[in-house]
Amino acid sequence: MTTWAETVVVFGLGNADRGDDGVGPEVAGRLAGRDLPGVRVVSPAEPVDLLDDGATADLVVVVDSVRSGRQPGSLMVRDANREPLPEWTGSGGTHALGLDAAVELLRALGRMPRQLVLVGVEAATFDAGAPLSPPVRDAVPAAVGLVLAVAGSMAGGEP
Amino acid sequence: MTHKSSTGGRVLQVDTLARVEGEGAMHVRIADGQVADVQLRIFEPPRFFEAFLRGRAWTEPPDITARICGICPVAYQMSSCLAIEDACGVAVSDEIRALRRLLYCGEWIESHALHVYLLHAPDFLGYQGAIEMARDHPTVVEQGLRLKKAGNAIMTVVGGRSIHPVNVRVGGFYRFPTGAELAALRPALLRARDDALDTATLVAGFDYPDFEQPYEYVAMRPSAGYPLEAGTVVTSSGLDFPAQRFTDHVQEEHVEHSNALHAHLADGSAYVVGPLARYSLNHDRLSPLALQAADAAGLGPVCRNPFRSIAVRAVELVYACDEALRLIDGWEGTGRPYVDVPPRAGTGHGVTEAPRGLLYHRYTLDQDGTIRDAVIVPPTSQNQPSIEADLRDYVQARLDLPHDELTRQCEQAIRNYDPCISCATHFLDLTLERS
Repeated sequence: MTTWAETVVVFGLGNADRGDDGVGPEVAGRLAGRDLPGVRVVSPAEPVDLLDDGATADLVVVVDSVRSGRQPGSLMVRDANREPLPEWTGSGGTHALGLDAAVELLRALGRMPRQLVLVGVEAATFDAGAPLSPPVRDAVPAAVGLVLAVAGSMAGGEP
Repeated sequence: MTHKSSTGGRVLQVDTLARVEGEGAMHVRIADGQVADVQLRIFEPPRFFEAFLRGRAWTEPPDITARICGICPVAYQMSSCLAIEDACGVAVSDEIRALRRLLYCGEWIESHALHVYLLHAPDFLGYQGAIEMARDHPTVVEQGLRLKKAGNAIMTVVGGRSIHPVNVRVGGFYRFPTGAELAALRPALLRARDDALDTATLVAGFDYPDFEQPYEYVAMRPSAGYPLEAGTVVTSSGLDFPAQRFTDHVQEEHVEHSNALHAHLADGSAYVVGPLARYSLNHDRLSPLALQAADAAGLGPVCRNPFRSIAVRAVELVYACDEALRLIDGWEGTGRPYVDVPPRAGTGHGVTEAPRGLLYHRYTLDQDGTIRDAVIVPPTSQNQPSIEADLRDYVQARLDLPHDELTRQCEQAIRNYDPCISCATHFLDLTLERS
């Protein structure tokens, strides 16, 4: 039986019209389509919206494009409750506050969710109007699976 | 970091200008105790949105151009709708105009709250950014976040979602919200208006540099009320012209150091759009509560100190909350949510007041509504020459400041304009070079 955390919010960050920045909304869209009980999926444009939508959740999973220098399409997981997110997380958008800054703002205000996990997908391109690059497009199913696994393991059950 | 330039002069470089929407670079060269050159460089390639639009249908610009900016999508939607409707010779109903104004209030509240509290206030309170400020002033940051949330709520109810609204179409809206849906926004907006009044008092206590500029202001002025989605274009020197005459009075030129076009008035002079311009040309149009907030913020009827733009944004926050409440209280929503906009060959123009200033769109259509040409003049490219002029004058009078402090103050001076560099190129790196 599926055992989810009491409240799970999945944040698909990024601009669907800026190449691989669209991977967050793409993964969020696929999860929204599954209509998972106890899981709310949102696709905000700005990381700072975590302060509106994420602060009351038990578990927040943020899906975003990252630029860490690895192969495009590589996946990574970071637990923001353990340590600050690296500066290169969430880069590539035109956000006024980056994801790393939005998370630290939550922490400074004492409003961190019980668990905040980043599932990052290494990006290749952020060109305006470009679709997802082939390696990032190919990584989407695995990213969806990783979000489900994170949500399941945090809840102590199988997704 | 500080290092020697190849020419023997000294260069101070800030790798990124944080807290500005996007990325770009500002280069200041000082030679023999004089500011020799100031260049705002925008190095993200132009976004080619104007090119994307060619060959698309006349119904598509509100959805396509909303993607230019995550902070001001409503502005792009509104200016594009007005321009297409102008090209097709269609006028919308008073109800549609009122709902557009309400949606725009939501965007102003969202954008101004973000800028005042998370981007600009840390400069005045002596913090590197909002995170450091939040540790010492959590209630101030929470106040800003509450305001922003009220703006998001309007965007969600009227626009269908808080970013890149999906309820806007050429000719109006896909669906009118019900009176009950809008009335549900009242409690949060009443609280937001109180927060905005507190904001005006908060910023009144900030220290402002003694710095005034002889700006030529350009803003809209409607027949009634403060400018948002309607009006003619007016200037401090007395020009008053409709959107259709915009390019007669404003010319864009490419400068070598920037991918964004620079805009000038027809006589070649620089001008300023945005909160300072709107306020100084429409002070008499503020609501009584917003006028009270202006007094509380220490502002007169005209403001020429760009650092006080944070105070003007606070006043505009009060106005936007006040106006949103007025529009909600008067809402009936009984009419048709859109008017038909049949295509025809022609050219149409639209101007509205984005949070950062006047935004102009022009579209030329074929008989079947295919877009043949699109021109978009965003606020930041109009302000670019004045940002450079501000930096030139500001630095010249403060050459004795230590590099780090001067650099910090230059960043603050650029943030006065809340520049949206991603919009302007359709992204800042600051270099101070001394020799």
